[in-house]
Amino acid sequence: MSGRASVLAWRLVILLAILVAWEWLTGVKAISRTPGLYWIDPFFISRPSAIAARFVFLASDRVRLSIWQMALSTVQSTLWGFLAGVGSGFVVGLVLGRNDRLARIFEPYIVAFNSLPRIALVPLITMVFGFGILAKVVLAWTIVFFIVFFNTFQGARTVDADLIYSARFLGAGERQIMRTVIIPSALGWTFAALTPSISFALIGVVVGEFLGGESGGGLGYLIIQSLGTLNAADMMVALVSLGVIGIVMALGIKQLERRLLRWRPEYRDRA
Amino acid sequence: MFRAGPREVAAVDGVSFDVFDGEFVALVGPSGCGKSTILNMIGGLVTPSAGTVEIDGARVIGAAPANVGYVFQKDTVFPWRTVARNIALGLEYRGVTGEQQARRVREAIALAGLEGFEDAFPATLSGGMRQRVALMRTLVVDPAILLMDEPFGALDTHTKINLHAELLALWNARRQTVVFVTHDLSEAITLADRVVVMTRRPGRIKMVHEVKLPRPRDVIQLRETDEYAREYRRVWHVLGEEFAERGA
Repeated sequence: MSGRASVLAWRLVILLAILVAWEWLTGVKAISRTPGLYWIDPFFISRPSAIAARFVFLASDRVRLSIWQMALSTVQSTLWGFLAGVGSGFVVGLVLGRNDRLARIFEPYIVAFNSLPRIALVPLITMVFGFGILAKVVLAWTIVFFIVFFNTFQGARTVDADLIYSARFLGAGERQIMRTVIIPSALGWTFAALTPSISFALIGVVVGEFLGGESGGGLGYLIIQSLGTLNAADMMVALVSLGVIGIVMALGIKQLERRLLRWRPEYRDRA
Repeated sequence: MFRAGPREVAAVDGVSFDVFDGEFVALVGPSGCGKSTILNMIGGLVTPSAGTVEIDGARVIGAAPANVGYVFQKDTVFPWRTVARNIALGLEYRGVTGEQQARRVREAIALAGLEGFEDAFPATLSGGMRQRVALMRTLVVDPAILLMDEPFGALDTHTKINLHAELLALWNARRQTVVFVTHDLSEAITLADRVVVMTRRPGRIKMVHEVKLPRPRDVIQLRETDEYAREYRRVWHVLGEEFAERGA
């Protein structure tokens, strides 16, 4: 069996083992026939079969707000927040990274704002932007911006000076140097920030949805609803969906990175 | 004087020499003698705290002068560009595009013997090939003056000698004015018309030696000749003192 196939096989085995153990342990009573006393109580963590049943129900058109609509809302808010954060963080990182004076002026503000726990901003952002999708996008943005900014800033600062000199000797103007030396060189740093960024964007969005109510109703709304009704199965449906969304987005970024950074030795044989 | 940090350290002192049009001059000296600093002053990367650098009567201040090409010791090939796109850089910066750009890049690749590697990324190439790309990238825009800072310093002897032959062939065709910095005396004598020997820091000119070896030179056979040995001995006699005094 080749390395790749065996890794995949092991992954499946582990997944199956967890599902079987989960299903079995939440079905075995600790003391026979006494209600409620399970080895592991499905009231708290539900069981795979119940979660699957709830998923089918939530995915059907018998509900007002289907799991698809909720997932779509979460994905949309995450992507918009992510794109806004990456775009603005990249541009500001490049500008401050190449301009010492501006960097020194803005440094205390950036450090101060970045050390502020973003969760603390949720009520304020909700107050300003309402309960709709916008508040979630803004929240994700404020988180992603800083992650991308710091990495791009560092990347723009550490561009090899000799590469800039050689571009200058070849006749490059400042804008050409930006385009052909600084941006490609900083991109490696920026990309390193993208995978954590997408996870943090998702965190921001879900926290926003906790507070957001039904109007922007994403998966975070489903989680809070399930807490209200003490419905562990629905909660698990939301959590598993979030996990799947996270994996798919991270894989997408990896693909993009492989294309854009294909000059790097680590992507050489796969390019 | 060249300011380095809070203390003023003189890198070179009282250095004055002319390089004539189409001449190949080599600067040799122990490491830290300021030969690279001189090159950087000619290239406008470093502004001398006293004295001037003039090219064709015009003073070099601050910026890189046009029609000066610079080949660094360090690998400065852009890793995110293929061989062909690296060589195209100078043309791209000057707005030479399309078929004209493609043709000149093709010619340069053929001259450097890099056919088949046009679409390779630098990470897949050997050090010698990367330096060949750097050289052709500089030559493709046809600079009148070529500054080279130990361009072959990091290469093994075999690769180095091959590149000497290629450089001489290219230079023979175009006769750029070359200032070539090296600490390798055999390299200097093989390539140059004149060898400028520097002292230890602060670098001064100790000797200017005219290399009376006929051109075109065969870089391999040359080293077996008595003339080469004589030239080498004469310069080494002076340069060796500088190495010896250092005690290392």
